[in-house]
Amino acid sequence: MAALYKAMPVRFEAGRSSLRPFLLSFRRLCSSGVSEEPGPGQTAEAVQSEERKPSGFAAAFELHRDLQQKQKPSVKTRESFASLLRRSPLVQMGPAKDKIVLGKIFHVVEDDLYIDFGGKFHCVCKRPAGEPEKYQRGVRVRLRLLDLELTSRFLGAHTDTTLLEADAVLLGLVESGDPKAKEQS
Amino acid sequence: MAARLVRRVVRSAGLERSLVLVCPVSRTYGSVAARAPQMAPAKEVQADDEKILTEPLKHSDFFHLAELFTLKDLFDARVHLGHKRGCRHRLMEPYLYGCRLEQDILDLERTVEHLQVALNFTAHVAYRGGIILFVSRNRQHAHLVESTARACGEYAHTRYWHGGLLTNGHVQYGLGTRLPDLLVFFSTLNTVFQQHVAIRDAAKMNIPTVGIVDSDCNPSLVTYPVPGNDDSPAALELYCRLFRLTVNRAKDKRRQVELLYQLKGKDEARQ
Repeated sequence: MAALYKAMPVRFEAGRSSLRPFLLSFRRLCSSGVSEEPGPGQTAEAVQSEERKPSGFAAAFELHRDLQQKQKPSVKTRESFASLLRRSPLVQMGPAKDKIVLGKIFHVVEDDLYIDFGGKFHCVCKRPAGEPEKYQRGVRVRLRLLDLELTSRFLGAHTDTTLLEADAVLLGLVESGDPKAKEQS
Repeated sequence: MAARLVRRVVRSAGLERSLVLVCPVSRTYGSVAARAPQMAPAKEVQADDEKILTEPLKHSDFFHLAELFTLKDLFDARVHLGHKRGCRHRLMEPYLYGCRLEQDILDLERTVEHLQVALNFTAHVAYRGGIILFVSRNRQHAHLVESTARACGEYAHTRYWHGGLLTNGHVQYGLGTRLPDLLVFFSTLNTVFQQHVAIRDAAKMNIPTVGIVDSDCNPSLVTYPVPGNDDSPAALELYCRLFRLTVNRAKDKRRQVELLYQLKGKDEARQ
């Protein structure tokens, strides 16, 4: 289940960008096969290339490329709040329980590390016993989230009491070149 | 002629604010303080003064504050994140987009409108030489709020609020104390999750307030509420930057307009 979750947002967020290297390589293949503007002394080849019309994926690729080129000038259209929210990592993550996220230490008080992972609140974790000197301000760490905000309704209160903190378990430092762990914006 | 000269000296020396009006009235208005009461103002100067003050009111966005931020900027600063459902204040429900997995989400489309109106009002107050007081009882952001106030030449109060600061000012601080013309709250709650006393006191003293209200705050007494996150440092940095830019822009505009009228007056005097 966790593996499935980890794979999903990467695939979702990549979207168009993951297709781009594939399209570029295909374009290079196409350009070698299909000729450009026919010169004055190349009428026979030009006629041949015109007869050989693209079909199937090639046709779809040509159409897509034209559409992309047409869309480029109109980048100014404002994205609505609803679509921004729907595509945000926080919403795509789903329930926060047991999700692995990346965080950054922004404050250290003796043994307490204040880590911001992109949610409303930060979380506070104890400095781990192994390699304590590596956990300083600005270090990126991996966390397992438990709750985005620690709140509870006590007896006799008409509203929840909040601790203004999130709850997470510190897993360790981020190893460089680790593609699996998801980062929130 | 003499009156015009004196007025120019007063304005250029920045003496507007330091004029202590000895009067038993609890609050003085920023635009009234600019006039020296003893002189009988010349007619052309009065017309110029009125034009400087009334011209910005004819435009809906005189200071072009809409270009300072976009919805995407608010979103990236996590302004839409609210508290958990159990902490929600009943009166914040119109400003909520919804509740996702027990966390309230504020509607940024509404926030954008409210923020534009609030910034526009702040700019007009700063343009007219009003005193702005930034208030926040959030200990994490106290330094940021204070440095923002210093950067735009205004005032901040991020410590314990003693009861009679606004309501008992003329007793505690002497007769004729000038109270702030606008209170800007970066967080409307105090350290024990109750509404900040200054909101109620400002309403009592007819001082307008601008306040960032989170999903657990009461927006009813705030004159220009801005529904938004008041807990994340990213959101606070955005608000501080926006208010600082607004106030500086308004003050620069005022200096520019006055210079323009001074030059115009000189030309007319020469002719």
